[in-house]
Amino acid sequence: MMDVDDKKDFFICRCEEVTLREIEEVIDEGYHSIDDVKRITRAGMGLCQGRSCSKVIARIISQKTGMPLEEVLQTSYRFPVRTEKMRVLEEEGDSDAQNR
Amino acid sequence: MRRIGEHPVLGPLPDSEMVRIVVDGEPMLARKGEMIAAALLAAGKQYFRKTIKTQEPRGIYCGIGRCTDCVMTVNGIPNVRTCVTPVEEGMEIETQMGYGHWKQER
Repeated sequence: MMDVDDKKDFFICRCEEVTLREIEEVIDEGYHSIDDVKRITRAGMGLCQGRSCSKVIARIISQKTGMPLEEVLQTSYRFPVRTEKMRVLEEEGDSDAQNR
Repeated sequence: MRRIGEHPVLGPLPDSEMVRIVVDGEPMLARKGEMIAAALLAAGKQYFRKTIKTQEPRGIYCGIGRCTDCVMTVNGIPNVRTCVTPVEEGMEIETQMGYGHWKQER
């Protein structure tokens, strides 16, 4: 088993390498929405655009502040849902698997 | 090669046409149509990239193209999700350091 100190060093946002400790610090400073946390720590601004971490951050905010999970302000989700090159919009029928 | 040769549900691994790929300058064989990440794991390579801040190695994580942990530089294009990109004959795959660099014209 890991002790509590180690858990604080877990990466919550894997793309931007933001740890639980950093996220808890900004929540303690009074930033209680995913967007606030994102703008200060960069969590959710990496390659995957928060696909892995935004739900986890919402949960951390909810646990730390006692706010119900549904009331934690979500970030705005914008297209595209998957990472794509602009070129695929021009070339009809080209699949994202080809990645060019 | 580390592959599941006899799967309890899917049965034995069927024969497949092979394609040649180049991984960090080393030539390698991969099953035609499989994902780059699958070919690399079968060859024992688990280290796909190094992170920019802490310089830690990363490999496959979600395996379904969401988390971007398995990105590598493929044919000179950085940040290609290897778990959802099939191998192609002659493909050049490189371990990516940090955000990677473009090596050819977009």
